[in-house]
Amino acid sequence: MSEKRTIGKRIEICDNKSNSAIIARGLSKSFRLPTERAWGLKQTLFNRLRGIKGYRDQKVLDGIDLEIKKGEFVGIVGRNGSGKSTLLKLLAGIYYPSAGEITINGSLVPFIELGVGFNMELSGRENVYLNGAILGFSNSEIDAMYDDIVKFAELGDFMDQKLKNYSSGMQVRLAFSIAIRAKGDILILDEVLAVGDAEFQNKCNDYFESLHGNQTMILVTHSMDNVKKFCDRAIMIENGKIACEGKPEKVAKAYEKLWS
Amino acid sequence: MKIPRVWNKRNLVLLKELTKTDFKLRYQGSVLGYLWALLRPLLMFAILYVVFAKLLGMGNDIPHYPVYLLTGTVLWSFFTECTQQGIQAMVGRGDLIRKISFPKYIVTVSTTLTAVINVLINLAVIVIFALINGVVPSFSWLLVLPLIFELYLLALGISFLLGSINVKYRDIGSIWDVLIQALFYAIPIIYPVSMVVQTSAFAAKLILINPIAQVIQDVRWSLITPVTITTSDFVGVWAELAAMGAVLAIFVVGALVFRKRSRFFAEEI
Repeated sequence: MSEKRTIGKRIEICDNKSNSAIIARGLSKSFRLPTERAWGLKQTLFNRLRGIKGYRDQKVLDGIDLEIKKGEFVGIVGRNGSGKSTLLKLLAGIYYPSAGEITINGSLVPFIELGVGFNMELSGRENVYLNGAILGFSNSEIDAMYDDIVKFAELGDFMDQKLKNYSSGMQVRLAFSIAIRAKGDILILDEVLAVGDAEFQNKCNDYFESLHGNQTMILVTHSMDNVKKFCDRAIMIENGKIACEGKPEKVAKAYEKLWS
Repeated sequence: MKIPRVWNKRNLVLLKELTKTDFKLRYQGSVLGYLWALLRPLLMFAILYVVFAKLLGMGNDIPHYPVYLLTGTVLWSFFTECTQQGIQAMVGRGDLIRKISFPKYIVTVSTTLTAVINVLINLAVIVIFALINGVVPSFSWLLVLPLIFELYLLALGISFLLGSINVKYRDIGSIWDVLIQALFYAIPIIYPVSMVVQTSAFAAKLILINPIAQVIQDVRWSLITPVTITTSDFVGVWAELAAMGAVLAIFVVGALVFRKRSRFFAEEI
């Protein structure tokens, strides 16, 4: 296929002695965006014949260097389109870097979205097992925690109903209750803190508080309150680069300045 | 690259759950449900039997021709179901691929496993039909499972290869649907090879060199009747080995292309 795409490196290790959880060096990501409708074989051949590339490379992340220590709770903030979600997907291994190197030390569980793989046609119970498998649980592990999940989600009477009959709030509660059972050395969360009503929110906050200090966590959010409340450190991404890094208060100030 | 060992177990669990879900959802909302998996090849067989065996009088020279025909249609349905669903597997599971990192081949395998379950159940139906029809059981029946595995390997190879291109160029799925229609007539499913031999021995050889035809004829030979014209008998043992080699080659190439392209599935889908 025409020009060769450059490829970075992703290394996954399990090193108990090292105290870094994630190290990124010069991490970059470009996307190949079609200029006119270049999807489909016909248009591609047509463009090729006319000497049109049919796409352009857009650099979304450009040379990110970062290191996250074990046990650290790091917030990543930035405007829409700044590249923070792309960074998250690179860390999670969903995207592959275009350049640079990323090292992940330990097992990693990403929550880009709650309830990945949820199927509306299946019952709540079936979805717990499906979503659990996606998060890396075996059936017997889910058997053991099933009651706790249902209790936390407050959905005791609804588990044999199809998911399509749940309200959106119920769906999110179920998804969140499974998600918090996930055990990984590194947890990655994208905007999943704001779910449910006020009471459920309190439960979630308690849960995050309880993890603080023992769990490596990366949180992508727009809420500066959450950054200040939970994070040890924050990183602000702007135009694909790290614009500000350090204490949550400092980064929150820089973030607010973006609009002034 | 060192991967923690739990990932292997994790992949297996995921494969199992995705297969279960596919299986459950495929027949949901239909009154007959799973029975359709059995009915489809049987109905197709009934039509072909009436048209080709009764009206056109084909296969008079072959003992147990109805079972012979049924075997062909069941294996062909398996191959088309496997490839058609395997090629669309990535697109169908785009929601997962965009949001979580896992080995993508699990999706292709889990999607095609439904077809494997179907063919195994259909195989039981064939065996019952064969016994009713007076076929005598023999040790050569044991060859049927490895032969179906060969066909699965081919279908999986094609699914990997075309499925990974289909992520970006969705035309591939449609092109394959048409190709498979043409392929149907190039394989001795409704007509016996002996009929082709009468017109042109060369054409018969050409037909038998195709791995799908090789599998179908071999299964018929080992399950129903040694009167079957097989690739190794008619063309030569080398052709039989070449067909098997081609299956292996397609699988390996498909898997390698898939592995290379799968890094970009999440952004292309």
